[in-house]
Amino acid sequence: MNEQISTIKLEYLGKIKAATSLAELDQIYLALFGKAGIITLLPKEFPKMEKAQLASIVPAFNQLKIDLNSAVESKRSEVREMSYASLSQESVDLSTPITLPLRTGYHHPLMVFEEEIKELFKKIGFQQFGAPNIDTDYYNFEVLNIPAEHPARDLWDTLYIDKSGLKERNENWILRTHTSNAQVRIMKQYKTPVRMMVIDRCFRYENLDARHEHTFDQFELVFVDKGLSMAHLQWLSEYFLKHFLGEETKVRLRPKYYPFVEPGVGIDGTCLFCKGKGCKICGGIGWLELGGAGMIHPSVLKNGGIDPKEYSGIAWGPGLERILMLKLGVEDLRVFRNGDIKFIQEKGVPAS
Amino acid sequence: MRVPIEWLKELVELPESVERLVSLLPLRTIGTKEVTDRFIELDMKGYNRADLLSMRGVAYETAALLGSKVLFTEPEESTYFWVQKELPRINVTVSEETISPFYCLVKIDGLKVEQSSQETQQKLADAGMRAVNNIADITNIIMLEYGQPLHAFDAAKIKDETIIVRRAKKDEVIKTLDGKDRKLSEMDIVIADSEKAVGLAGVMGGENTEITNETGSILLEAAIFDPVQLRKTATGLGISSEAGKRFYHGLTKKRLLQALNAAITEYQKIGGRVNGIAILGDSLEALKQIPISLNKIVSLIGTPIPAAQVEEYLQKLHFNLLPQTDAQGSSGWMVTPPYYRLDIEIEEDVIEEIARMYGYENIPAQPLIDNPVAKVEQSKYETIKKAKDGLVKAGLTEVQTYSFYSSNVLNALGWTEDRKSLLLKVVNPMSAETEFMRQTVWANLAEVTAQNAKKGIKDIAVFELGKVYQLTQDLTINEYYSLAIAVMGEPETVLKQVHQYVVKLCEALGKKAIFNQGFGTLPVELYHPIKQFSVLINDKPAGGIAEVHPRVMFTLGLEGKRVAVAEIPLSVLI
Repeated sequence: MNEQISTIKLEYLGKIKAATSLAELDQIYLALFGKAGIITLLPKEFPKMEKAQLASIVPAFNQLKIDLNSAVESKRSEVREMSYASLSQESVDLSTPITLPLRTGYHHPLMVFEEEIKELFKKIGFQQFGAPNIDTDYYNFEVLNIPAEHPARDLWDTLYIDKSGLKERNENWILRTHTSNAQVRIMKQYKTPVRMMVIDRCFRYENLDARHEHTFDQFELVFVDKGLSMAHLQWLSEYFLKHFLGEETKVRLRPKYYPFVEPGVGIDGTCLFCKGKGCKICGGIGWLELGGAGMIHPSVLKNGGIDPKEYSGIAWGPGLERILMLKLGVEDLRVFRNGDIKFIQEKGVPAS
Repeated sequence: MRVPIEWLKELVELPESVERLVSLLPLRTIGTKEVTDRFIELDMKGYNRADLLSMRGVAYETAALLGSKVLFTEPEESTYFWVQKELPRINVTVSEETISPFYCLVKIDGLKVEQSSQETQQKLADAGMRAVNNIADITNIIMLEYGQPLHAFDAAKIKDETIIVRRAKKDEVIKTLDGKDRKLSEMDIVIADSEKAVGLAGVMGGENTEITNETGSILLEAAIFDPVQLRKTATGLGISSEAGKRFYHGLTKKRLLQALNAAITEYQKIGGRVNGIAILGDSLEALKQIPISLNKIVSLIGTPIPAAQVEEYLQKLHFNLLPQTDAQGSSGWMVTPPYYRLDIEIEEDVIEEIARMYGYENIPAQPLIDNPVAKVEQSKYETIKKAKDGLVKAGLTEVQTYSFYSSNVLNALGWTEDRKSLLLKVVNPMSAETEFMRQTVWANLAEVTAQNAKKGIKDIAVFELGKVYQLTQDLTINEYYSLAIAVMGEPETVLKQVHQYVVKLCEALGKKAIFNQGFGTLPVELYHPIKQFSVLINDKPAGGIAEVHPRVMFTLGLEGKRVAVAEIPLSVLI
């Protein structure tokens, strides 16, 4: 047996060395380690042997396995590097176009949803606004009535950006935890009345699993005018939820605390599965929590240069991924950003 | 806050079923996290209702919601133990008033450590706390009922029977009750005796003065500390506690004294004798006065609510009302919230109280009035939409990837440790997958291509339009939208495909692209040495297209196919 091992080693190390392509190496690998490969079959002889013999054979066999495996690996990377070296022989001529393969493109389901939301609110006069994803603690928290060490900060587990290499080290740089970092910017930049919408990425310190995401999209209306009231909050919530979940959807507001609004509200819609009767999805209560909103806090209006005696404001936003998961029947949050083409083709919208 | 139902029944009349309360709480007050036959857990995360961190506060709220009565009375201060009896002073110093505006300490002798009664143990268990021994359990029971945290030191282990409330010394170390050595900063607040720190104020007691089976005499502390500093210390040391929550949300001196007196009564029941006291700080608290107007109430809630109803709601919540007319002649009230409602500060806070008692769900919808706003430049967003539509029409599928570079991408792109300082970094990432911000989109698309190929997808042609985050040469953050395309294919055609997609994109947006071979030298070999072109769109530098170097794709897990990509900043497409 020892002899056999030496022979195999000699023979295959030679073959490996002589190989010039990855395909060839794959064949050699299969001949060794495949189902009927030499290395795979060899140990089947062991039970027939005596203990004394085995004591020397087993280590030799294990060494053989290691040697051949690493020989294949290193030859593979040698062959690869050779092929990389020959890349400089290749050329391309962009002036002679080819016919593109026939493909059906798909819009990402989350983007389709967001586009529809934007269209819906464009119809009633809202325009889009963007705020930085990497922002200061000041815009994300302080101007929103959330000073440092305020207990409400527990609501937002925040990701911080290393500022040691930045010029402005006096600021605390963070990944914005909500689109509300746009609120004061909008108020400062535009004259009242204001109807703006913000839609984009936000981030939280959250370990990733089927129900938790560190990255999510938010949609938020920032609406400042004379005489705005909670009755308008109710209307906006109905306008949105009836459009997306069906005309029969009922909407109710509940007290909820956000430091930058007063009064603050949570938005519930009747469960779209049981239509409010109570089921497993809604935990038997017939309602699903679908968003948050409120009348903009007078201090926030003041921070935005708006007189709260004259104007009132509405901040309003649904939880995008949650509603979309319910609509699409998706149970794992991670599908939205893992780049799975199959999912996008299944749930997205093809080119029209 | 976990509210034991049996305990609540001791504090408030529950004429209707508990179910009625359970269904009203989320509609009028606060969401519930869990409801069982023994307790209702209120979802207090980040909430500002400090009063709901006490059974008495929850009882008041319950009474207001159900229109019933609380079964306790607010004690008269003249009945407090220390008012009725002359007691020796304990030697207590508070070094700065700001760190502890109100500090009380009572010496209680004659105690014997035992297990608490079954009833006390059950109460604690229902509230989600562990019973320890009779001395410690009283502090917790009182905290739960009144919302005021208490701490008991073993008096025998306090040197010279002296307490000093001060900031920690530089590098001072204290071993806390959990047996851990905590190194402190000069801002942290400690409770010390004449020799050493014996507790981390409001955060955790020290092991050196812990109640043990031999304890016969305690120093009982009831105090208010600077909540901002306390929260900083606790977060810095990674300690979260039931007491902490109450300190951060805010305490009142009035409730503190009630709690202290109630605790004394409990200790007396188990044989304790009060032999000393110290009360430092002014016990007076000004009540807030907030003017509210009926007009404002109606206009903010958006539905008419009669004055009588406003009064009824606020009285149920124990607000004091004094009718008044403001300068504009509209009617209203001067309102005084009850002392325990620290969250009520301005008119809007009071209006929220009225709105929730009225029931948010009873507010009818009112359509928006048509009040046109000034037009704002929207070309960026219009371009994003057009670009996406154009690419999907051309046959590409839109993907979304994270704003980070995964460890796999960092590795494939040759971001070695020494070069990573050129990327924007997250200080507290959840894992290595969320530590560095992406600088380009194409790298994430290359990764996605390899992943999809592994799953057996044969034809891959994708794009993403999203933000990238760069650290500029002058050390500022440059965040902008970037568009990337990735196509998997054969060496002969794959880059030509990407080229054509870019041409089609430019056509859809009415732009013209010019392609020039070569990017110039790069620190890492990321692209095919020949098949790389920089792009000019309407004569502006507009990123490039290239075949990804097969070595990069191999590291990402793809071999035998080529991948070509494009990366174009959105700004040149507008």
